[in-house]
Amino acid sequence: MSEPIDCREATLQLQDYLKREMTPELAEEMRAHLARCRPCFSQACFEENFLRLLEGCAKVRCPEALRARIVALLQVEAEQG
Amino acid sequence: MAEPSAAVRSFDAEALPHLDALYRVALRLTGDTSQAEDLVQDTMLKAYRSWRQYRPGTNARGWLLTILRNTFINDYRRRKLEPIAMDLEAVEPHALYRAVEEVDPEGTFFSRIVDDKVLDAVDALPTEFREVLVLSDVEGLSYAEIAGALGLPLGTVKSRLFRARRLLQAALYAYAVEMGYIKPREGRHE
Repeated sequence: MSEPIDCREATLQLQDYLKREMTPELAEEMRAHLARCRPCFSQACFEENFLRLLEGCAKVRCPEALRARIVALLQVEAEQG
Repeated sequence: MAEPSAAVRSFDAEALPHLDALYRVALRLTGDTSQAEDLVQDTMLKAYRSWRQYRPGTNARGWLLTILRNTFINDYRRRKLEPIAMDLEAVEPHALYRAVEEVDPEGTFFSRIVDDKVLDAVDALPTEFREVLVLSDVEGLSYAEIAGALGLPLGTVKSRLFRARRLLQAALYAYAVEMGYIKPREGRHE
């Protein structure tokens, strides 16, 4: 087992951790660190609250009229070969 | 109406499910609904015309977003050579977390900000930061997908995302202070 990660390392790795782009081993180390370190845990919550706000912005949908226009244009393209 | 051909059917099945994401990204890039509609339409036509270059079952969303972004850069940017007002890699905004850790350590104030205000703040970011942040944090693309769509090295994607988030957090914090959602650290007299 390698050295447990410290706060400095945890802060550096937080972005990759929250994006779930790290090895399972390192993710496990991060979870363990966040479970025992209140400041780092708070910082992770802070970033998660921020990210939730941005995820919520994915509600906008393509207007139906545009969708219909594109489908019709594609059909014309196909017929023209 | 004629029966759609096999080519149209396979394009429809692979590409049309991504129209919502394409439209959202187009909106953030152009900042304008009618330009966003034109950009999505142009993107879909270009994609259809080069459909043979797409390998079925690979990442259609990434492929479409690459076309959308290239079309935006080539045809939609009002000024082809937008002056870069700052050295993008040198921007190192302070971590907002340090400023709020005493008053709101978990950032609950974020949840009080409505979507429109969040999007206004996103739109105010420099394009180079905005596109990475939107692809990552609104659309959920991986580092590798973003690197592919934008033609950037992975390390640049990561560092731009880091800086984009810091800049956006600073803007949202300023708005939250203005609205009274959070008390600024300096303003307190206890």
